[in-house]
Amino acid sequence: MAQSRILDLVKSQCRIFSLNFNPQRLRLGNKILRQRLRGPALSAWYPRKTVSFRDLQNTYKPLGLTTFDEYEDDREEAIQVSLRGKGRPKKKRSAAGNVILNNPPYRYIHMQPTTN
Amino acid sequence: MVKMAGMFRPRRLDLSGFINTRVIRDHNKRMAIEQTEPERQALRYMIRNTSLPQRVRAQAQLQLSQMHPYTRPTQVKNRCVASGHGRSIVRAFRLNRFQFRMQAIAGELPGVQKASW
Repeated sequence: MAQSRILDLVKSQCRIFSLNFNPQRLRLGNKILRQRLRGPALSAWYPRKTVSFRDLQNTYKPLGLTTFDEYEDDREEAIQVSLRGKGRPKKKRSAAGNVILNNPPYRYIHMQPTTN
Repeated sequence: MVKMAGMFRPRRLDLSGFINTRVIRDHNKRMAIEQTEPERQALRYMIRNTSLPQRVRAQAQLQLSQMHPYTRPTQVKNRCVASGHGRSIVRAFRLNRFQFRMQAIAGELPGVQKASW
């Protein structure tokens, strides 16, 4: 069979299957274009977050439905503690508004003149 | 272009399951690769195409080499989904060998059974 006939055959084959007809075997980089994109498969490795508790809170807030708020609960508890007189004592203040140290640091105690 | 890894960090963490810094970093890399893959492939095509002018191909080479390292597919590392471990991962289950063993014995992996004969 003549060489030109084979070339014609290959040419029509390439046209039908939408391939690149390249009888000179030039390096046209088409193998890069044939590759599939790997990105979607790579990015699907780790499980993704779908719905979080915060999303639920935000969606039901306009309807007036509230959920347990841990920070608010802690704050109210702390208020109750201080109301019962169990909280931290207030710092003493002089007339000028300066804070007087209840427990002066160790080094100050030793710096004072000793009386006998 | 400033090369900072932080530019690929999403504003809100969209992962569930086991999370540590290395898992987040790897996930960010995967996102960056997915984003820039068409651009990278276009540049690679230009580099391999010998019918293009030499200058164009050299420019494409330069541009590809100056892209952020996080956009490079060789940067990804398959890590364990349940523990974040980076070694001896069973790819089909995305678990490392110890997590795979524990889950398999607990019957959490369908079709996996401890061999005994």
